[in-house]
Amino acid sequence: MAESAMPGRRATERYGLSSLGKIALGGLAVALLFAVWAVAFDQSFYLRLATECLILGGLAMSVDLLLGYCGLLSLGHAMFFGVGAYLSGLILIHYTQSFWLACLLMLPAWTLLGLVGGLLALRSSGVYFALITFALAQVAAKAIFATNEIGIASAAGQVDLGGSDGFQGVPIIAIDFLFFQVDLRDPLGFFLFVLGAVVLTYLGLSWLLRTPFGRTLSAMRANERRLPHLGYAPRRFKLVAFTLSGVIASFYGALYPLLRGGAFPELLTFWVSGDAVISVIIGGTGTLVGPIVGTILLGFLRSLVGSELGEYHIIIVGVIFILAVIFFPRGLVGYLRSYLDARKQRKEDPSHGA
Amino acid sequence: MEELLGYIQFVLAPQVVTGLVIGIAVILMALGLTIIFGLLDVINMAHGSFYALGAFLLIALLGAGLNFWICLILVPLIVIPAGLVTERLLIQQVFHSRDRHTLTLLLTFGLSLIIEDLFKIIFGPDPHRPPTPIAGGTELFGMFLPNYRIFLIVFGSALIAALSYFLFRSDFGARIRAAAHDRDMAASLGVQVKSVYSWTFALGLAVAATSGVLLSPIYGVYPAMGHGFIFLAFAVVIIGGLGSIKGAVIAGLLCTQVFALASLVVSPVWADVLVFVVMVLVLLFRPQGLFGSLGHG
Repeated sequence: MAESAMPGRRATERYGLSSLGKIALGGLAVALLFAVWAVAFDQSFYLRLATECLILGGLAMSVDLLLGYCGLLSLGHAMFFGVGAYLSGLILIHYTQSFWLACLLMLPAWTLLGLVGGLLALRSSGVYFALITFALAQVAAKAIFATNEIGIASAAGQVDLGGSDGFQGVPIIAIDFLFFQVDLRDPLGFFLFVLGAVVLTYLGLSWLLRTPFGRTLSAMRANERRLPHLGYAPRRFKLVAFTLSGVIASFYGALYPLLRGGAFPELLTFWVSGDAVISVIIGGTGTLVGPIVGTILLGFLRSLVGSELGEYHIIIVGVIFILAVIFFPRGLVGYLRSYLDARKQRKEDPSHGA
Repeated sequence: MEELLGYIQFVLAPQVVTGLVIGIAVILMALGLTIIFGLLDVINMAHGSFYALGAFLLIALLGAGLNFWICLILVPLIVIPAGLVTERLLIQQVFHSRDRHTLTLLLTFGLSLIIEDLFKIIFGPDPHRPPTPIAGGTELFGMFLPNYRIFLIVFGSALIAALSYFLFRSDFGARIRAAAHDRDMAASLGVQVKSVYSWTFALGLAVAATSGVLLSPIYGVYPAMGHGFIFLAFAVVIIGGLGSIKGAVIAGLLCTQVFALASLVVSPVWADVLVFVVMVLVLLFRPQGLFGSLGHG
């Protein structure tokens, strides 16, 4: 059933690496080369910038899980990202400095947030879904923005959320692995750690999307009305996907205070959600690698072109985005994939043509 | 008892009037959004930017020495061609795609990025405040009301009435509703569906720009001025039902009164949350909103 929903495209997967896998591997190689270059020439500024891009790329990946595989456009993933950042910042300041313990503590909160958000937003579909996620994030942002006025802070036990300023002072920690430690003070260590997290997320998600669960998601995107007739409950699958996506977004949000030393209400604003969506579209919807590529492009534009052109860069981003939506709806990685697929097909079966 | 009356007269009633002013503006915004959605299936994320465009055009025209009242007529006339072009260049590009809901939403979002950045570059990030065109105030039932706000409520209500008259009684309105109801049937009966689309889109934007002009003497003009309203307007449209005129008016009044009174009783912050709760509650019981769509009455 799931096979028929995705004719042919994934059939090559059984024989070695898929085109998408090749692109991902290429991207990983580029990232490692970049790290070598940055260390060799002592460019810790670019390392930290790239780390931030990867963190935001993780957020974009979670948006792509919904948009590319379930057909759900979320305009509110900044909520997960921002709440994740606030939670981890607070826990690291007030409770523990062990990254793994903090993650363990936060996981139920992330899941709950994803579940509640999903239950609210998935009551509807299409544009209604997009607007409800938008509204959810908007409300969360306003609430956090005004914590000083409404006294959430005191209710939570003298924890200061800093209102419109956010808070600083998250300790820079070292993360214990079994045999070694990654000190996040070291830009290279941090970069490699986040890169590892992104690679694991990619591998985990692409495995998940090949399981019957993932196939059902794709089938749902292809034809949602037919699915119930085959005995599936689309809403349940969507809810699981939404929750998972929320957890991923929260996790990457949790990494943010480690990099920037604090959490700010701006992390919950529409710009963060919007940037994630832009990255997904420019990079390639439904590719998982694409969002990372898109985020890096966007980050590059922001900091390099942005410093040259000042405020004009948002216009450039907007124009590129509009052109991408109209003329290149499959995104960079999407086109690269079809090119690689076509080449592979020609190689395997020359008589078949492209 | 006297205390209660005093509270009603000096605290509650002015707040209700303030809510009414915001309500008129939000309803005008929501009407544009809902007509555009009802006919074209487009969620216009740039609606707030066109609201700001109206206000900035006002600033520019006032700077050129024109009178406020002339601007009030001129601004929509300038925005209409801009709307026609936008519809042709952006919306029509992806109109026949399978994902047109998502794509048009993304396109208008991109457009809003560009427009707002343009404002920032041309006018700077700081707020401008045009002078209030009607000075003074009137005492009404013991309340002091600025004359301009009274004008706003009257003029806005008239505009809303004129819009519904236009949609439900005029020939062009009938064409719009016919195209929303069944595009192919309308086309085969001789409705120029494509031009109806463009003009309706432009009309929605012109209404948004007009409310931008009307509200700028009260709330000031700055690049992100649309953001605060767009959330309320979207909530209103969702609660009222995407595409419903009646829904937009009723939900607009409901939401802004909830908003205004909640700001008074609790804090303005919770007011947003409360509006959102109303929205979620409505969606729980009626996922399609309170009222039907544009093509169905």
